[in-house]
Amino acid sequence: MKQLLLMGGILLSLPGLRAQEIVLTERAPLEAVYGEVWESDDVLPMNELGIESGYLLYETEVELPEGGAELALEQVRDYAAVYLDRHFAGTLTDARKSLSVAAPAGSHLLQLYVENIGRITYGPEILDNAKGLFGSVRLGGEEIVGWRIIPLAIREGDPAELDYVPMGAGPLEPCFRRGCFDCAETSGRYLDVSGWGMGEVWLNGCYLGAFWNEEKQQSIRIPDDLLRRTGNMLVVFDIRNCDPTTCMQLSTNPVFK
Amino acid sequence: MKHRIVKKWLLALGLLAASLPGTARTREVDLSGVWRFQTDVMDFRRGSLSPRYNHPLQDSIVLPGITDDYRIGYESPYRHVDRLTRLYEYMAPAWYQRDIEFPAEWAGKRILLCFERVHWLSSVWVDTREVSRCDYVSVPHVHDLTDFVTPGKTHRITLCIDNRYQYDTHKWDHAHTEFTQINWNGILGEMKLLVMDPVHIDDMQLFPRVADRSVEMRLTVANTTGKPFRGKALVTVSGNGVEVEREFPVSGDGPELRLAGELSLGDDAPLWDEFSPRLYTLRCRLLTQAGPESCEDERSVTFGLREVAQGRNHILLNGHPIHLRGTVENAVFPKTGHAPLGDDEWGRIMSIVREYGLNHVRFHSWCPPRAAFRMADRYGVYLEVEMPMWGKDAEPDSARYDFFRREMRAILKEYGNHPSFLLFCNGNEITGNFDFIEELTASGRALDPRHLFSGSTARTRVPSDQYYVSQQTNKGPVKVYEGRPTTDWDRSAESDVDVPVLSHESGQRCIYPDFREIEKFTGPVRARNFELWREMLEQNGMLDQAYDFFRASGALTVVEYKAVIEALLRSSKSAGFQLLSLNDFPGQGYAPVGVLDPFWDSKGLVTPEEWRSFCAPTVLLLRYPKSSWYEGETFTAKAEVYNFSDSEWKRARIRWSLLDDAGHRLAQGALKTQDIANRGVFPVGELSIPLGKIRGPQRLTLRMEVGETLANSWNLWVFPRNESLMQSDDEVLYTRMFDDEAERRLAAGKTVVLLPSPSRVEGRRSTFHNHFWNPIMFAWAPKTIGCLIHAGNPVFDDFPTSYHTDWQWWDILENARVVDLQDAPRALRPFIQVIDSFDSNRKLGIGFEARVGGGKLLFLAVDTQRKMDERPATRQLLASVDRYVHSDQFNPQVALDGAFVRSFLHQNGKK
Repeated sequence: MKQLLLMGGILLSLPGLRAQEIVLTERAPLEAVYGEVWESDDVLPMNELGIESGYLLYETEVELPEGGAELALEQVRDYAAVYLDRHFAGTLTDARKSLSVAAPAGSHLLQLYVENIGRITYGPEILDNAKGLFGSVRLGGEEIVGWRIIPLAIREGDPAELDYVPMGAGPLEPCFRRGCFDCAETSGRYLDVSGWGMGEVWLNGCYLGAFWNEEKQQSIRIPDDLLRRTGNMLVVFDIRNCDPTTCMQLSTNPVFK
Repeated sequence: MKHRIVKKWLLALGLLAASLPGTARTREVDLSGVWRFQTDVMDFRRGSLSPRYNHPLQDSIVLPGITDDYRIGYESPYRHVDRLTRLYEYMAPAWYQRDIEFPAEWAGKRILLCFERVHWLSSVWVDTREVSRCDYVSVPHVHDLTDFVTPGKTHRITLCIDNRYQYDTHKWDHAHTEFTQINWNGILGEMKLLVMDPVHIDDMQLFPRVADRSVEMRLTVANTTGKPFRGKALVTVSGNGVEVEREFPVSGDGPELRLAGELSLGDDAPLWDEFSPRLYTLRCRLLTQAGPESCEDERSVTFGLREVAQGRNHILLNGHPIHLRGTVENAVFPKTGHAPLGDDEWGRIMSIVREYGLNHVRFHSWCPPRAAFRMADRYGVYLEVEMPMWGKDAEPDSARYDFFRREMRAILKEYGNHPSFLLFCNGNEITGNFDFIEELTASGRALDPRHLFSGSTARTRVPSDQYYVSQQTNKGPVKVYEGRPTTDWDRSAESDVDVPVLSHESGQRCIYPDFREIEKFTGPVRARNFELWREMLEQNGMLDQAYDFFRASGALTVVEYKAVIEALLRSSKSAGFQLLSLNDFPGQGYAPVGVLDPFWDSKGLVTPEEWRSFCAPTVLLLRYPKSSWYEGETFTAKAEVYNFSDSEWKRARIRWSLLDDAGHRLAQGALKTQDIANRGVFPVGELSIPLGKIRGPQRLTLRMEVGETLANSWNLWVFPRNESLMQSDDEVLYTRMFDDEAERRLAAGKTVVLLPSPSRVEGRRSTFHNHFWNPIMFAWAPKTIGCLIHAGNPVFDDFPTSYHTDWQWWDILENARVVDLQDAPRALRPFIQVIDSFDSNRKLGIGFEARVGGGKLLFLAVDTQRKMDERPATRQLLASVDRYVHSDQFNPQVALDGAFVRSFLHQNGKK
């Protein structure tokens, strides 16, 4: 595996290639960063769990009728990635709070990974500062009751220290992904995050930054003293991108959409 | 009708001018004075009914001025809670009229009607002919009367000013808001006729170049003769010992000629910056001949030799990194209801900015008048200006978009020569179409390289950004709203993105209003909200504490701002910060967050000298892990120097000393003598002070200083370990429950110290910090603004505290619960009294004493169980309580019913 990586590194650093690709070869499941699991009939906002910002997983078992049903949230602050039986089913935001989910009739696992992008300081919701999910969650008009709410300690530790396994070929559910790379020139580099969904990245054990595909800005500045010529380790967490083959790239310029 | 003829050049050029043939020269005719006036609340112009210009108007008004000054409009009966109350509201067209004689010798001249500042649509009629309309908010309105007047005749000039919203822009935009300045109707500043020869200077822009100490003059010459013209431009630059004169030939045959010329000021010509704001004057005399006609014009522009560029993490001025220490200015002018237009008031504001160690002002969603730039040039203050743009103003609306396109170009043209005009941002916290924001930003950069441009504060980034003002980057938060009991942190890594990052709207810590300010509001707006809040406080029986609430919460804000600003100075990769704000903000619910009141007068909470110890071009910094220490520990800290001054230090000897409250030196030392560079933040050494011999409890001051004038200091506390706490005995019962045992002891005349777990107390969350911004707009729990400590109560005899909270209170207040005591007897005053929001004014407390059921009760809603080894101050407070309740001094005066105590306690799952 390591050899393959090195070869990849050499191939990609050939002159003429503008951006260097960083291949992510391993993954670590999220269970290792699960916080205390809350059980509640209704979804609870972050505020009631004593969380200022970050990621939460809301999950429950649902019964789906033949032909699927519409999933509708009363309140989502600010962004949710929906998974049905661990397969990506779409995203929801404050501006679009419902989507159709389809699967064979019967019992299924519904998971919503929710992120609070930041506290608002302005706008009509200014007096209502709740974050996460709150209000009712309905499937085909029926309120879903009985949730497990799991705070995810994404930013609390060094995710490079988790136990990783080879990436595999199948579609992913949200997890940490890890890859190593070499880099001939270490100054003035940006990490190009285009093609990714919403998440966070770490480089060589240091938190590097956050990304979101809806933002115009699609690169993160890498401090010069952080990048090494050899043996760099990149860790990516994403709640939306399920494709195990997506790479990140090094760019010499900031990248905007 | 008085015409004041002003010769534009005086003294030096007087002789020269006198020797010129003819009378060709530019005249300014002052139009200030009495104008006829009429209101038009029905908007007859829109209804095409009897337009006002058809007949003489009946009332009169003195201009420059605003309708409020003459009590015109709707007399407001309201007492607005969320802003100051405007006494006379007027939002409609209003008509202003004057008959003006145009002398015969003005034949062939260009005649312009100029108003310095208008809100916000002006339309002009000459007799019954409409001349033009102008709707700039940020720059003067100019109407060209040339083709509408006949020299030798008297014309009726009628002006309609409409201060209704001309575009669907955000109602909080400070350029035209009712919340800080008011949305006035009138004309302010200079109002004049400008009478020029037909070949004259239309525009003059100066582009300084630092590398070779030169300035490029770009001149636009207008020619309304219809004939070819030729002549010369005589240009002189003077100032700072420089005297340069050059002559440029001028010739053209069209209506407009653009020419550029370069003037070298010499290798030693001084540059402009905050440390040495050297200014030059460029005077251009245009002498031309068009057919038989001799034309003459002159224009002077003040400029500085300076260049601004985007650096790696900092803004570069003249090639060097600068660090911006700024305040946000929000068009707060309650004395007049509008921005001042004169040099005196802006000079006062800019000198106060410098006095408080700042070098930067952000004008939030507005652009000030020219005098602000002029005074910032003189005092060396770097300005960021904006358009009236906020929130959803970038959502698609083609009329609004065109307004912004025009407004931006007008601002760049009008104020672009001012060296203080460093930064241009479109507006505040914008949402909507960011392709439009990118278009504006990119076109601004292309138009004018004398400033750096940014798309929006605190929202989506755009590719053309040259800097970014925000609470957050994609590397994490860069906001700093509050301090911490440790100083070993910063926002450096989070600020390190592709452009320089400024921390947005830092601070915002709310102070209880000082009701004594009511009397200062004598202009068009009054603080009727203060009156409401004061009445409420009186009804709740605490009017005598109003000043104490103000000074205790104010002292906490100063504690917070020192911590906030030092954190931002430790952030070596941050380009600067913009404090919100040095002065109070009277809108959005009223945010008294300033150490100055809305009139830019000190509130008496901190002196400028004290403030400059932590906010100045050079500041000594210290990173230490905690504020409260146990006896016997070793205090450790890392020292840094923030030095964004213009000089390095050679062989600097930084001394430190540890002082007790009486000023005795308990320990002292010096860091290694060293050279310290400038334009950065530099580590200078470590301190390690064994606290072995120092007995607690006491407050210590760690002071660092260098030379005679530079010093900074930090409060630290040393406490004994207090191993044994809360031991009940025959006299005193310590309990977490108000149970039968407690009541029995009280009935027996004994003492009960009730220390319930905060989770079992009904009340509000307790926090060290005072409320963010203001509790009316952000009505977030717990809506409290600090604590008033009754330090004279002997319960604090063994606990070092002032009347206000400082960092020693952190571990107490972050582990407590606030009880509503409004329904307790009036005489009961909690010794830890929490200050409620000023729109609620309830009596709140964490600790109080009372006579209950025949005994003596001391109540303290502070946790005594969690991580007590890390909470030396809580332990000390408990020790002080213990000493107190065992002493004769513990003699509560106010009787309280046990049922009242039970009313806010949850016991065994039941209330």
